[in-house]
Amino acid sequence: MASTSKDGVPDGDKVAGNLGDDLEPGACSDSILNPEDTFEEFASELTPNLQERNILTAKSSTISEIQSEIGECSQLHGTKSSDNLQSKDESISASTSSSNLLEQNGDEADDKDDYLRSPELVNKEKHVFILSSAGKPIYSRYGNEDKLAGLCGVIQALVSVVEEQNQDILRSISTKDCKVVFLMKGPLILVAVSKSNESETQLVMQLTYAFNQIVSVLTLTQLNRIFEQRRNYDLRRLLSGAERLIDHLLIFMEKDPAFLLGAVRCLPLPEKSRENITNAITSTCNKIRDLVFAILIAGNQLITLVRMKKYTLHPSDIHLLFNLVRSSESFKTAESWTPICLPKFDATGFLHGHVSYISEDCQACLLLLTVQRDAFFPLSQAKHTIADKLRRSNCLVAINDALNRNKELPTTNPLKHIGIPEIRHFMYKCKSTAQLFTSDPICLDKLQDYRLRHKEGGDITEKKITKLSDIEHVRKYRKFCSQIHCTSTPAKLIFRSNSDDTILAWITNGFELYVTFDALMEKDQAIRAIDRLLHWIKREEERIFIMNAPTF
Amino acid sequence: MSRCDFKIVLLGSEHVGKTSLVLRFVNCRFNSGTPYQNTIGAAFCAKTMHSNGKDLNIGIWDTAGSERYEAMTRMYYRGAHAAIICYDPCCASSWARLRHWLAELRTVEEDCKVYLCGTKKDLLDTNSTREVPEDIIATYSQGLNGHYLTSSKTGENVEELFQKIVDDCVADRDLMQKVEESRVQLAKEQEKDKSYCLC
Ligand SMILES: Nc1nc2c(ncn2[C@@H]2O[C@H](COP(=O)(O)OP(=O)(O)OP(=O)(O)O)[C@@H](O)[C@H]2O)c(=O)[nH]1
Ligand SMILES: [Mg+2]
Repeated sequence: MASTSKDGVPDGDKVAGNLGDDLEPGACSDSILNPEDTFEEFASELTPNLQERNILTAKSSTISEIQSEIGECSQLHGTKSSDNLQSKDESISASTSSSNLLEQNGDEADDKDDYLRSPELVNKEKHVFILSSAGKPIYSRYGNEDKLAGLCGVIQALVSVVEEQNQDILRSISTKDCKVVFLMKGPLILVAVSKSNESETQLVMQLTYAFNQIVSVLTLTQLNRIFEQRRNYDLRRLLSGAERLIDHLLIFMEKDPAFLLGAVRCLPLPEKSRENITNAITSTCNKIRDLVFAILIAGNQLITLVRMKKYTLHPSDIHLLFNLVRSSESFKTAESWTPICLPKFDATGFLHGHVSYISEDCQACLLLLTVQRDAFFPLSQAKHTIADKLRRSNCLVAINDALNRNKELPTTNPLKHIGIPEIRHFMYKCKSTAQLFTSDPICLDKLQDYRLRHKEGGDITEKKITKLSDIEHVRKYRKFCSQIHCTSTPAKLIFRSNSDDTILAWITNGFELYVTFDALMEKDQAIRAIDRLLHWIKREEERIFIMNAPTF
Repeated sequence: MSRCDFKIVLLGSEHVGKTSLVLRFVNCRFNSGTPYQNTIGAAFCAKTMHSNGKDLNIGIWDTAGSERYEAMTRMYYRGAHAAIICYDPCCASSWARLRHWLAELRTVEEDCKVYLCGTKKDLLDTNSTREVPEDIIATYSQGLNGHYLTSSKTGENVEELFQKIVDDCVADRDLMQKVEESRVQLAKEQEKDKSYCLC
């Protein structure tokens, strides 16, 4: 922590006592999201344990479980997921022979060392490389991975030397201004080279997401099988087009605190509107037997999620869906029918998704996910029925108002409505439901701006700060977040005040809260402000959060 | 369940221009500004067309050319009345995979009418060099129902291609008989649904 600041870790319980014991805005016993934290999982990737590694086979298949419950998989297709894989295998083995020929030439480039010094690669804040455990390049965030065969060879050599000679795992390398983090997962090696202030755990989290993104388009079963059959397989053949998803995901993770906190952001809506939307979906879909999830999203925010009894979604799976929708223009022009693997839900098989925008004049996207691969037409019909119902009950207008923030609602400009001028920004996570609320959600245009700017660079630059929004605050909160989630000595409450700003981070059983105040705030003043803030969130909770867990 | 009279499926390697072709035909648009994005899985569009004094709903499946989805493509041409196989005359590799589609169609869907479509004619007309020789194309298209050179950018021949398909389908008596039957069937079902709704 900065030496100029007044640091203090007051007794968390005392503060809680002051604030009235059980104020947990947004808390709800029944959750649509699986609130299980993954911070420990990421941290454990950093502690060496050679045995557990490489055993990356998912336990049981949720998808076949659902299929057998519905009781129809045995008649026609056998178990569908394995049928899928078999026919895919045919195509893979059929095509590998031709790839052999292609791979012969073009592998040796004389100038590959020069390439590492080219402007495409130098001076980036964070690189991400993905390679196969045989050392073949699969993905590079910048530059052309084809020309990085040499570098990938070196990475692979490093990893295997540590493994074979020391019976250990290479986790990270630190230099003065740079962290290199390694993640070995299944048949892949993922590496982040970062000059940002992200902790190792946070980098591992990002690499895990990148891995999950790959699993999401291929399934873990297929990924493992490909490399069992051919250790040398060039995975780019199967991933073509999916690089875009990884590119976007990496930017998304750097900008949106939802990843930092492992939570999902909801679109603030009047309680009644959300209820109407949910009812429109349940009443239309409750007769469709194989539907597992119906999810309505807009601008990386959840509007509602209706699910099959017993099943919930993990925030990280929802983030992958947000990313898919945000990265794909084509969903806007036609109804799509898309295989989607949700790694936390079931890494071994595909769900089939009917994906489409609700209407031309409403940027909300509906995903209907089923285990039945011939269900396109019933789902297409359901979508049109839902869209009609939403239009008739004025819900499309409500969604647009919330998205464009063009109506004066309490949540349109939270800071103004709360009326505590010293608060510059805050983010609040309700732990029992894994939902997140921040004072200044990233507006879509802004995210788009960043994306464009990123395409040109991703270079390290001194940014001129105009108005601070979530995007700028994420950077500041990272350090506090990792202290709070530190597995060895977690902090419960951190207060840091200096001449730039004052930041308070607080974790309880029910929530996590991060607040930025004006510079040089006193502690008791800050705590009084937080008390008012929590009461405001409590008062608005029905609008801010999804407080029930509807099923079909 | 489908309310479409004809099912048309688009096949072809990635990047040949299938999505652009559908977008031009259905929405009369060409997005030259947005960078190429591969189709994920498949996309469905419907459009009403006229032929021989009849109104017909056609459903179009735009499939993904990426190898990743190859095994899934079969479920889209199952039951298709017509298939448009796309290639890019300026890209030899897009032609190489075409034989594969043809063979597949012949085995899985014998009655499916097959049309060959060379894409991006505007590029061919300006400066790109042809990589697929015309005589080879001629030989191949002999056994098929038609061959068109289209441009989604200018719209050239796009309407013509789809109109020809619908005209051919309408002229096919067996097919039209089935279409009529399924229309009657659908109307019946809708009647039934309505009476359910009332109670
Ligand atoms: N000039 C020109 N460009 C075209 C034409 N048709 C497609 N393109 C371009 O070719 C690229 C690929 O087009 P898509 O329609 O996305 O290709 P696709 O066949 O759907 O590709 P997959 O979805 O991966 O199978 C895009 O950049 C289009 O802009 C055309 O008629 N003229
Ligand atoms: Mg396409």
